Formats: sequence, C-alpha cells, structure tokens
Amino acid sequence: MNNNLHGIIFAYHQNPDLRELVQIRSTSSIPYAGRYRLVDFSISNLVNAGVTDVGIVVYNSYQSLLDHVGSGKNWDLSRKHGGLRILPPFSFSDRFGQRYRGRMDALAGVRSYLKDIRQDYVLLTSGDLAANLPIDEIFHKHLKTGADITVVCGIPDRRADPRMNSYITLDAKDRVIDVVSSPVAAQGEVSLETYIISKTLLLDMVDRCAAHDIPSFTQGVLMPNLNRLNVYAYRFGGYAARVQSVTGYFQQSMDLLDPAVRTSLFHPDRPIRTKDTCNPSTYYGPDSRSVNSFVADGCIIEGTVINSILSRGVRVAKGAVVENCILMQKTCVAAGATLRYVITDKNVQVGQERMLMGHTTYPLVIAKDEVV
Amino acid sequence: MLLAGGQGSRLKALTSKVAKPAVPFGGKYRIIDFPLSNCVNSGIDTVGVLTQYRPMELNAYLGTGQPWDLDRLDGGVHILPPYLVEHEQGSWYKGTANAIYQNISFLDQYDPEYVVVLSGDHIYKMDYSDMLARHKAVKAACTISVMEVPWEEAPRFGILNVDEDDMIYEFEEKPKKPKSNLASMGIYIFDWSKLRKYLIEDEADPNSSNDFGHDVIPTMLAAKETMAVFRFQGYWKDVGTIESLWDANMELLSPQSAIDPYDQEWPIYARVEARPPHFTGESAVVTHSLLTSGCEVYGTVENSVLFRSVIVEEGATVRYSILMPGAVVKKGAVVEYAIIAENSVIGEGAHVGSAPTGDESWGVAVVAQDLKVGAGAQVPAAAMVDKNVKGVKA
Repeated sequence: MNNNLHGIIFAYHQNPDLRELVQIRSTSSIPYAGRYRLVDFSISNLVNAGVTDVGIVVYNSYQSLLDHVGSGKNWDLSRKHGGLRILPPFSFSDRFGQRYRGRMDALAGVRSYLKDIRQDYVLLTSGDLAANLPIDEIFHKHLKTGADITVVCGIPDRRADPRMNSYITLDAKDRVIDVVSSPVAAQGEVSLETYIISKTLLLDMVDRCAAHDIPSFTQGVLMPNLNRLNVYAYRFGGYAARVQSVTGYFQQSMDLLDPAVRTSLFHPDRPIRTKDTCNPSTYYGPDSRSVNSFVADGCIIEGTVINSILSRGVRVAKGAVVENCILMQKTCVAAGATLRYVITDKNVQVGQERMLMGHTTYPLVIAKDEVV
Repeated sequence: MLLAGGQGSRLKALTSKVAKPAVPFGGKYRIIDFPLSNCVNSGIDTVGVLTQYRPMELNAYLGTGQPWDLDRLDGGVHILPPYLVEHEQGSWYKGTANAIYQNISFLDQYDPEYVVVLSGDHIYKMDYSDMLARHKAVKAACTISVMEVPWEEAPRFGILNVDEDDMIYEFEEKPKKPKSNLASMGIYIFDWSKLRKYLIEDEADPNSSNDFGHDVIPTMLAAKETMAVFRFQGYWKDVGTIESLWDANMELLSPQSAIDPYDQEWPIYARVEARPPHFTGESAVVTHSLLTSGCEVYGTVENSVLFRSVIVEEGATVRYSILMPGAVVKKGAVVEYAIIAENSVIGEGAHVGSAPTGDESWGVAVVAQDLKVGAGAQVPAAAMVDKNVKGVKA
C-alpha cells in the first residue's frame, strides 16, 4: 500500500478544440469508452496503487465533474480521514483573467491544501489522460532511483499535434536531459505530464514559480532544474490517450475497437471504476446487427451498429444505421436514421430517417440535449 | 424481513455452492435483488435478511447494502443468521415463522408498527406501500398478497378463501377441490404487536411446524383476527426449478415482459463489478439477447442471456441459453437450451444441450460452476453436469 503517496488530479482544462463536448463540462468529465468519464482513469489508477487521499483541482464548469465523482465512494474514497477532495480555486483571484494558465498557477490556487497533505510524496496527473498506469510500480521506481522528480513518459502518438504536448529526451539511464514544450515536431518520448515529487520540493517550487510568475510546471520546474535536480523518467509502454481535440477524441475512441488497446486500458488486476448507475443489460432485438462495437449497459439496439462506441442507455431503433459513431448516454436514434462519423453528446435525439454524416478528419458533433 | 435461507434444492447443481437467493438472474442480477429493490422502491429503509444455507456468498454480496442505498445511519440492511444463545440450545431456523421468532429482539430494537415478511426467491415488481395502504384501510392484523392463478393450477398453491370484501375466512394448503383461485404469494404484512404475540404462542406449541402458511396464519384465522388479501396483478415468478429459472430468464427477453428492467420508475439495483462495456467482434451475430459488461462475442448468440465477462469465441453458437458470469464458449462449440454456471468453460467443438423434442425426458441442460467440458464432448439435454467432462479426440 502506498500510504505515503498523495494524488493530485488537474481537471481544470476545457480545451477549446473539443468544441461542443466542453460547452458544459471540463475535459476531465467527457464521457469516454462507453461507461466512463476521462477522470475515472486517473482516480482508479491512484486507488489501484493504494493511494487513499486524492485532490481534484477544478476551475469552473465543474458541476458535471461533481455530479460524477460525488463523495468518491465509487472509488472507495469516501473516508473518515482523507479520501477525495474537490479543490476549486479558493485562494486564486483571477489575476490573470479567466482561468489557470498552467499547473503552477493551479497549485498556487490550492496552496493551503498542499500544505496540509499528510503524505511525503505527491503524484501529479491530468484528468484528461486515459491510461491504466501502474502507479505502484512508478512510485517504487521513484524511491529506488532516488529521483527528485519522476516524469511518466509514453510512446508518442504520431497523430497527435506536437504543439499540444511536451517531449523529453533521455540518457541511457533514463535521466531526463532535455524537455521541450509545444515543439513544431515531436522529439523523443512524449510526456504524459504525470509526475512524482516530494511534498517539500513541490511546495518550494510552487512558491518559487509564484514569485517569478511562471505558470507552467514544465517551464517553471523541469526546464530550469534539469542540471540541479535528479529528474528521471518512467517509460510507460501501454496505451495512453490525452484527449485534446474532437478529431483526437474520435480517433482515441475508435482505438478501443482494437483488442490490444482494451487489454491495456482495462487491465483485470487494475480495474477502472466509475459512478455506479443501475442500468440493466443491453438488449439486442431480433433484427439487430452489432459488429466491431463497444457497447455499454442499458442500451436497446434494434438497428445496425458498426465500428461504434455506445454509452449507457442508448436506443437505436429498427432500420437505423450507426457506423463509425460515438453515441453518449441516452442518445436516441429513431427508425431509419443513418449516422456516420457522428459524435452525439448526452440525451441527443435523432429523428426518423435523418441522415447525419461527418468525416474521420471532422466528425460531426451534436451538443448535449439537442434534437435533430 | 426477507427470508433468504432457502437451499433451493430443486435448482440442483446451481445451488450446490450458493443459497437460492444468490443465484444469478437476468444478466446483471441475483434473485434477491428483486425483493430487495422492491423494498427500497417502496420506501422501506430497514430490511433484515434472514440467511441460513451457504450464506457466505450472499453475505458478501449484500455487504453494507450500498448498491441498494441501504447503508443507513439508522436502519439499512441487516444480515440475520441463526445463532446460539448461552444456556439454550440454538438451532437452525425451523420454519419461516421460527426464523422471525428467533429475531424478535432485532425487531424490538426498531419496534415498528408493521412488518412485511417476504421471500427471497421470487421474481416480481411490487409496491409494498400499496399493500400497506390496504392493510391500514381495513385495519387488518395481517394482509396477504395474492394473485389469481388458473383454476387447474390452484391445487398446487396455498389458496385463500375470501368474502365479498376480500377478507380471508379460510386458508387451504394445496386443496384438491379449491374454492377460490387466489394463491398466496408468500408476502405478508403484519401488525408487529399482533405478530409478536402469535410467534411466541406458536413457538410454545410443540406440535407446530413453525411455518407461516401451516401454522401462524391458520391460528390467526381461528382467533378471528382481521385478515385481508391484497390482490396483485402483474408478473410474479417462483424460480425454484431449473425449468422455471430458464423460463423466467427467457421471458425477460420478451419486449412485452412484465418485468421491464428498463423502467426507471422502478429500477432493480444490483452490486456490479467494475468491467468495461461489452464488445461485439467482426463476425458476431447477436439477436434477441441480453449482453452486459465485460462480455466479448465473436460468434453467434441468439435468444440468450449473457452475464458479466462471458466470452463466446468465433464460430461458437449460443441459443436459448443462460451463460452466468465468466462462462466461456470456445471455438465451434454449440450451447443450446442450457444453463452454464459461473466460470465454466465449454471446450472447442463441444455440444451442450439440444432443442426440445417433445419427449418427456427432454429438459434444459445444466453445467454447474467452475467446470470444464472438454473439446468435442457431448452433453445431452436435461443433463446435470456437476463434474468435469472429458474431451473427445476428433
């Protein structure tokens, strides 16, 4: 058990490239993989490593996230001491306009919380990261190498926009020798922006960055200290998706149809937990067809579903065709409608015989509660 | 008070390791989820579950009662096993009435006005608050829920004979010549003070079998207590046999089924394990079936109910069957008119069960839990497989 590790999940992002999907929520609470929200991965990873105290840093539009995580009891984080804490910007005065410019801003915003952390080490991760990280192993490696900071890095996704990511260069002993942020082209390993750092060093860095007005962890903590501190990498070889844009989200959802991706994300020893809704099984009607699709519970499917991801409680009526689509909770597709390359948000209703088509490079997104 | 101690011996190999109320049902549930969800949906927040036979899995399943919202500061779910008392001879629950009798101190602790006594092995949706409303309106000492059964089947049930106001004047257990077709569903509401008195008297009677139907109800009638029936209309099924369990699962597939699991006004709650959504592969054909989390289907599934994490490999066929959690059907195997219990594996090319022949000896084939049916093996209809079956070399 890692009772000496604390988890901080940054969930304040509302990436504008996610368009309609972040109109009413932060990136972390976007539905993903049928029955989950993105943040489920980070919370579950921490819990699976025995972490008992987790703080989730939010800024605004966090009602959806609050609804989802509740008291944290679905992750066994509703505890007498510690457990799950939602951290709104309680000591942050909008000095810089709308929201946190970066993680150091966010940490400064919740500094009083950091001060009271009971553990000696803190894992910082991002609520928009879908991956099944072996945090237990990462923490052990951190202690064994005597690193000041451990950076978790992954295999770069060549479809990703390098300007949205940080990349790191390692020496033969996995020591970080260079970090670049938002380069024109990818180089080295991609940073999953998940770090382990001691509480004391973190507090020190928060104060230094605040004093120097540096909002970013990469620029304020990593870059200036590569020579001064021991910064090591943990290479994660499994599937990892940072959700940053609609096109990326579409591709990362379609990745789930690959059995290797599912095996990596849904490791049987490290289950991903989510809010428990009491949905019955999914019913397939007599004339239904479901091929190469990933389908959550509570759906009633009487039409055709091909290469698609369906969340809980979706209805696909007779004669409807859903191909290369992502249908979120309680989407209703009426008889005879055809959807291709469409992402429907929650409670979308598509009328009879409607034809909706996007493209793999520009999936059509229908916002929450809309009626077509 | 939910009676959940039944062995369910007519479910044979399916209850060799678990009590009947813990038998999986309908893709995501166990039988006990139905009466338990009915309690919660009816506004009952204190439930005693009386366990006895093989309680381990049932106890673990109920846990703190959180999935049913029964983890309460005051009340909630209580598991009530039989226990020994110092200087007295403890015993198993002798009968349904004795089970409640042994828990008088539990009930006294809450001192309720009314107690509803339920059976943990029936599949139905019922609002007990409607029944309580009738119980109160007629100021009954006891109200029994009944349903009309076909006259020719009445001799199989406990039959209640009522006057024009639906008040009971006679109870007949399995009458040869029934005077009414109102069958008792084994659901009782009592005034607790009255029930408490009769339970103590019943316990003191050495000739009593300490059963509600046999003893307590006739005694109360003889004592001229006000006894009412509550007429229930809708789906109700005793899933006490392999055939009825299979039937009830198949009925759940029918869109006209009276048990509508999609009804959000009356949800059925269950404890679920964290599994990802199910996946249907390129070659999958799934029709008129229920699938749930963790299932992976690459073969053909027709008219079947698949529980969590069931795998149907390519070229395998599953028809009119119930596959309980973790069951695996390997390549080319055929499973039809069968129940495969938890984690059992049907080997490549094996064949389990067969379509009804109209023959008397036909029945649903059953493979008990944690078993292997070897490659190419044949398991005939009506078989009750309770140990591994060797494969047959091609």
